[in-house]
Amino acid sequence: MKASPSTIFGLVFLPLAAILALGLAPHAVVVVWSFWAWDPSTYWIKPDFSLAGYAAILEAGRWTVILSTLVKALLAALICLVIAYPTAYAVTFLASRRLAVVLLALMTIPFFTSYLIRSFSWRLVLGRTGVVNTFLQDVGLTSAPIDWLLFSDFAVMVGLVASYLPFATFPLVLAMGRVDRIVLSAARDLGAGFWTVLRTILLPLTLSGVFAGFLFVFVMVAGSSTEVQMLGGAGASIVSVMINDVMRVANYPLAFAISTIVLAVILGLVLIGNWTFGLARLFEDRAQ
Amino acid sequence: MTKWKVPDALRSNLQRRDMLKLMGSGAAAMAMGGLPRMAMAQDATIAFWATATLDIGDKWQQFAEQEGVMPEFTDNGNDVGPVVARLAAGNANDLFDLGGFQGGAERELARQGLIAPWDVSKIPNYESVWQWAKDIPYLTHEGKQYGIPTVVNADSIIYRPDKLGKVDSYGVIFDPKLKGRVAMEDAWINSAVFAAMYLKESENQPIGDPGNLTEAELGLVMEFLIKHKRDGQFRTFWNGWEQGVQLVADEEVDAMTGWEPIVYEGRKRGLQVEYAAPVEGYEGWGNNAVLLNGAVERGMADVAHKFVNGLLGGFYGCELGKSRGYMVPTDKNLAYAEEHPDEYSPEEVKLLADHVKAKFSGKVAWQNCRPDNFQLYEEWWQKLRNA
Repeated sequence: MKASPSTIFGLVFLPLAAILALGLAPHAVVVVWSFWAWDPSTYWIKPDFSLAGYAAILEAGRWTVILSTLVKALLAALICLVIAYPTAYAVTFLASRRLAVVLLALMTIPFFTSYLIRSFSWRLVLGRTGVVNTFLQDVGLTSAPIDWLLFSDFAVMVGLVASYLPFATFPLVLAMGRVDRIVLSAARDLGAGFWTVLRTILLPLTLSGVFAGFLFVFVMVAGSSTEVQMLGGAGASIVSVMINDVMRVANYPLAFAISTIVLAVILGLVLIGNWTFGLARLFEDRAQ
Repeated sequence: MTKWKVPDALRSNLQRRDMLKLMGSGAAAMAMGGLPRMAMAQDATIAFWATATLDIGDKWQQFAEQEGVMPEFTDNGNDVGPVVARLAAGNANDLFDLGGFQGGAERELARQGLIAPWDVSKIPNYESVWQWAKDIPYLTHEGKQYGIPTVVNADSIIYRPDKLGKVDSYGVIFDPKLKGRVAMEDAWINSAVFAAMYLKESENQPIGDPGNLTEAELGLVMEFLIKHKRDGQFRTFWNGWEQGVQLVADEEVDAMTGWEPIVYEGRKRGLQVEYAAPVEGYEGWGNNAVLLNGAVERGMADVAHKFVNGLLGGFYGCELGKSRGYMVPTDKNLAYAEEHPDEYSPEEVKLLADHVKAKFSGKVAWQNCRPDNFQLYEEWWQKLRNA
């Protein structure tokens, strides 16, 4: 049975309207306002075509914060994928159905608490008197607390990976669940070893899931702030913290310009990724 | 046709926000066979948009019974940046009558026409406010009173005497011997002031007002902080109450600039921690009541004056002191406690008052959330972050 055009329109109207109103419109406003100028007399911005916001990104080392944010996001996404891929493999192909459900449920446990609590708990683990340092000293591996475990880039990365790992795992579980097991069995029957199956069959068939997981973590990290503020060293920054700093002194065009740059990078990444890895395949009907 | 007019005191909040609530409670009361207490019906309400720590929760009911004004309290997040933005470009003046803001933004808000001056003759309790609190530099603009000091205190250094002995200078924060064992707050509003006080008083650097640095002074102060950050002096810059407590409680630092209640919390956890009385002085801070222009336009100015008079009346000061250790700068607190010893201990109220007064008897630099070069402060803070 084929749906009529009016039915299709009726069905897509609401989600389309929601995307336009809640997603596209605010972002469009941010982009437009990034070119407006700050008006000290009204304490707000006024219509203009000014590149002052973008020029200010090059001052005070702000561009380095954008760059370091992207590097952090890239690194965290890659580490998450390295951990998530075997996890998803175990859940999909090795665990019994019941165990798979338990494992997936365990992965959602971090979401029962806020990012703040999760990050804070890492301070108690990685601190001078924390679990790790106490253990290392108790077993005689160190004679004094290791300072760089906390308030460092290392601690930030631990916090980010712990927070966002499930965002990489679930798309991979979804992607692996779509792989036809007969194909894998056939390859093994023809003599292919584990690594050959992984490299030549599983990885290519789950690339859309890999990219989806990467993208989710990348975007989440790019917009995060708690982990950096709680676990980073003195004055550690990330784009969200910088935007907050800038908004605090009412420099709205600069805040919008920073947001626009990050938005452009993420949008570019989505388009390139979709073009390369076929993100949409993840949601295609399996029967087709 | 005669237009129906609502009395001033009942306009605003009752009309704007509480009508549905009132209708609901009225219906419920009718259903129960009675009406709400007449006293409640006569109370005016006022929309109080303030720092969360100014909220006394259930005790507002008692306040309203005494003063005849009931606040609808909304937390403003304490961060003055978004507060000013919401006043200038948002709907804050439509929603709220009265602000309770970190001190410093009053002059700027007055210049923008976003707040209105107080008529202190309508606030009889203002007479009792301690003189040094009345003299906070940014409460007035062009001879008019725009801020009423509601809460004041002064900050310095939290330290561990078992590790450092007696500390009486901000020099400890910049002492190379304590590299990686000290922290400051992740906010220029505090850290720049502390560094400026140290440079001015102990290093004889040419600095006028540490709370309002000129471009050259700011450069001097921030270069000093950047140098120490690059040297690895700071363990971290901290944010918020729990983080501050954790740094002390878990022995991450031996000294840090911060709030006195962290000392009390540290002691509760069995730590030997002290609060320094630095030779360079304290960083004073105030949270001040401001009259929003919207309130004046809605005819709520008199109710706002009555409410602020109530804040200075003694009960609020006693309650805020008891619940948070905060100080409303008036001797009315002690008078109230002496009249109501069953509610508040006069000894404790006096102890807190004397403690705060002692802090302000020496040098004090006032924290200022909106110094003249505030956007430059942010630029320097970014440089510090990225150093």
